[in-house]
Amino acid sequence: MCNNMIQDSKSRNDLDILKNKTNDISAFFENTLSAMDKRPLVGWFCTYTPEELIVAGGFIPVRIFGRKKIIKSESYFPINFCPYIKSSWESLLSDADNFKAVIFTNSCDGMRRFFDTTNKYLKDTPSYLLDVPHLRGAGSIDFFANNIGNMKRFIENLNGKKISRREIENAVSLINRKRKLLKKYSQIFTKLPEFISISSYFKVMELSMISAPEIFTDDLERYLKFIMEAGAENMTKLQPNYKNTPAIMIIGNFITEEKLWGMLSAMNLKLASDDLCISSRYFEKQIELGDDSDFLNLIAERYLNKPQCMRMADLGLKLKEIENNIIKNNIEGVIFISLKFCDTTLYSFPLLKQKLNQLGIPALYLEIEYNNFSEGQLKTRVQAFLEML
Amino acid sequence: MGIKDKLKTGIQRNLNQKYIIRLLDIISKKPALYAYGSTFSSLSDKYLNIFTIESLRNAYSDNNYPIGYGSLFLPYEMFHALGITPFLPEVMAGFTAGLGLATQTLKESSSNWYSQDLCTFHRSASGAVELDIFPKPDFVITTNLACDAAQKSFYIHSVKYNIEKNFYLIDVPYEYSKESISYLTGQIKNICMDISSKSGMKLDTSKFKEVISLSNEFRKWAIKVNNLRKTLTNYPPYYNGLNFILPFHGLAGTREAVILYTQMYKELKKYLDKEEKEKSGKNKSPKRILWLHLKPYYKNEIFDILERENCIIVFEEINYIHWPELDCKRPFESLAKKMLSHFLAGSIDNRIDVILKAARDYKVDGAILFSHWGCRQSNGGARIIKDSLNKLNIPTLVLDGDCVDQNNSSQGQVKTRLQGFVEILNS
Ligand code: SF4
Ligand code: SF4
Repeated sequence: MCNNMIQDSKSRNDLDILKNKTNDISAFFENTLSAMDKRPLVGWFCTYTPEELIVAGGFIPVRIFGRKKIIKSESYFPINFCPYIKSSWESLLSDADNFKAVIFTNSCDGMRRFFDTTNKYLKDTPSYLLDVPHLRGAGSIDFFANNIGNMKRFIENLNGKKISRREIENAVSLINRKRKLLKKYSQIFTKLPEFISISSYFKVMELSMISAPEIFTDDLERYLKFIMEAGAENMTKLQPNYKNTPAIMIIGNFITEEKLWGMLSAMNLKLASDDLCISSRYFEKQIELGDDSDFLNLIAERYLNKPQCMRMADLGLKLKEIENNIIKNNIEGVIFISLKFCDTTLYSFPLLKQKLNQLGIPALYLEIEYNNFSEGQLKTRVQAFLEML
Repeated sequence: MGIKDKLKTGIQRNLNQKYIIRLLDIISKKPALYAYGSTFSSLSDKYLNIFTIESLRNAYSDNNYPIGYGSLFLPYEMFHALGITPFLPEVMAGFTAGLGLATQTLKESSSNWYSQDLCTFHRSASGAVELDIFPKPDFVITTNLACDAAQKSFYIHSVKYNIEKNFYLIDVPYEYSKESISYLTGQIKNICMDISSKSGMKLDTSKFKEVISLSNEFRKWAIKVNNLRKTLTNYPPYYNGLNFILPFHGLAGTREAVILYTQMYKELKKYLDKEEKEKSGKNKSPKRILWLHLKPYYKNEIFDILERENCIIVFEEINYIHWPELDCKRPFESLAKKMLSHFLAGSIDNRIDVILKAARDYKVDGAILFSHWGCRQSNGGARIIKDSLNKLNIPTLVLDGDCVDQNNSSQGQVKTRLQGFVEILNS
């Protein structure tokens, strides 16, 4: 008996050490974090931006996450305006020189005005707006492919060099690889919630969008190898612990609150699925380049047919995607988190709520701001929700 | 109590579709309709109200014509050519404000999980849809021209009526280009064909031609009105250019729009002639204001204050004719160009161009941008608009408020800000 207890606590101890190691993201991604890549950066905001073309043009695509503290930005936009845009504008106002160019999309009214603001007040920063259709039919794909062609020309003009087909193929396979590995990571994360914390998961997601893709994918591959080996060995020990935790799906927009992820990591829940633009909406679906295919059309096709953002016209299809995920992942509760003043996301909730009611899935509705995040209040609400489940 | 007040309290007390239909039945009968029309002091308002009642009567009646919900910035010529009776929920949201119903409709939308930060034109309309006080549509057609709100809220309406298959979005590209024209033309054409095959209403070329030429006729008179207003300072009592949203959009392509704008021209011309005769008698010339975006549609003091302070609204950007004459031979392409040339599509530069042109053409002393809560597309550009007008030395007031929700703006604050602005204009 005594021996068993010692054995037990020893293995628990080992497991804790292992867990700590697994969640030491800075150690696993040391190369990514310390990389001294000399290539210039091109900033982007929305997951409808084909990163492949930025890479093919010889740049590092970096998603702009924005500064949490908004000071100067406030005087450019109204108080009730997307906090992500305001904080991104804050970071452009101070760090625009770090970027060779910035690429916007017409994702929403706010983004259109953000692009206008950048054009007017940061005239020296080359910026481009990629027109992404809201529909998904054949006409839209052709139209989008044409717009992607224009974006390609914009990138070519940045360093006066034509992008070759070979460069595009290489970039596509690199970004495909990144997407594939991220998907794998996401699958493992949902299988081993005791092992990988929510904070770590989103930290890796963030790194995937702001780092040189070659170095990041190498680090991620090594990291996955480690997790798979360690996870497989400890699977049985991990199993009983998470069996009784509720499977949650998070639906929202650009949610990057470390404090929130930290808070959720410490709670008794299993993040079994998500519909966020910093996770599945970013990495799902690959580009299949054929031999003599029109690559612009194929890129357009991937981006228009990836899990769609709430900005797209067909909310019905979005709800179907969510419903499928709920069923597939045995979701027991949905946490809907939107940044405040994001119309496209907020408008999706009335129908989402109806759908969840039909499916008998309880939902928690949260609206948050970047710099005005009340941890205590949020914690109480999430806790109450989990208890109810 | 006057007829207008009676109508208002009647609806407030009996907020249901049956009552609205009964009311419209009574008031739309010719003698009653004209009696109602004559309660308005200006000819333009008279026709506006008569045609509005008739249009509502059609939308609420059982006349076998399909009803199409449409968002504001659609080319309504397609509705009229297809024989679809248009019903404009956003415009009707303005009515909910005017009739004192918005508190109820907004409350209903909140209980259906619409965030309070969304545009009240859409929230109020959604509340009205949920309360079943709007007619049931057969088609729901919308566009993302100007803003994101309509494509989302209209889809929800289509779900409510179980007609998602009859939901259409006209996706307006960002730039005016050859490719954009062809993308948009294709969409408009496909939607018209689809609706025509579903509704059994033939897509008749000669009907389309007639509608297009009526639209051109309306456009011609609206341009004449706009030109005349460049020098006009004395308006008919209660005339407000922000009241003509329904005919300007929803009736484009109808005889009614032509009549209304012809009459408006004639009426304003009389005022102009009179003004020119009496020119010498005028002592202090008023301050000339350019109005940007819309206005509150509930009872408010803004325009009384401006009048008292000797300011006149010489032009409203919403009345700017942005599109070229339509081509009868290429109806779909013409309508695509009409949409693409809208100054609220694409870059803010399109809007700035119109604003600066209007500022020069109408020799304005100042501009007021009504900052309607929740309108990201407009308010997000407020700083750029203000800075652009300042370059022409035109002071601009960004006036915070809400077009529909009376409880979301403080009359006292509005008054103070208006008075402060007038002081700047007079200094
Ligand atoms: S979070 Fe919403 S409002 Fe903000 S940029 Fe994204 S889509 Fe637009
Ligand atoms: S007021 Fe603004 S947000 Fe509201 S419907 Fe009009 S353009 Fe859209």
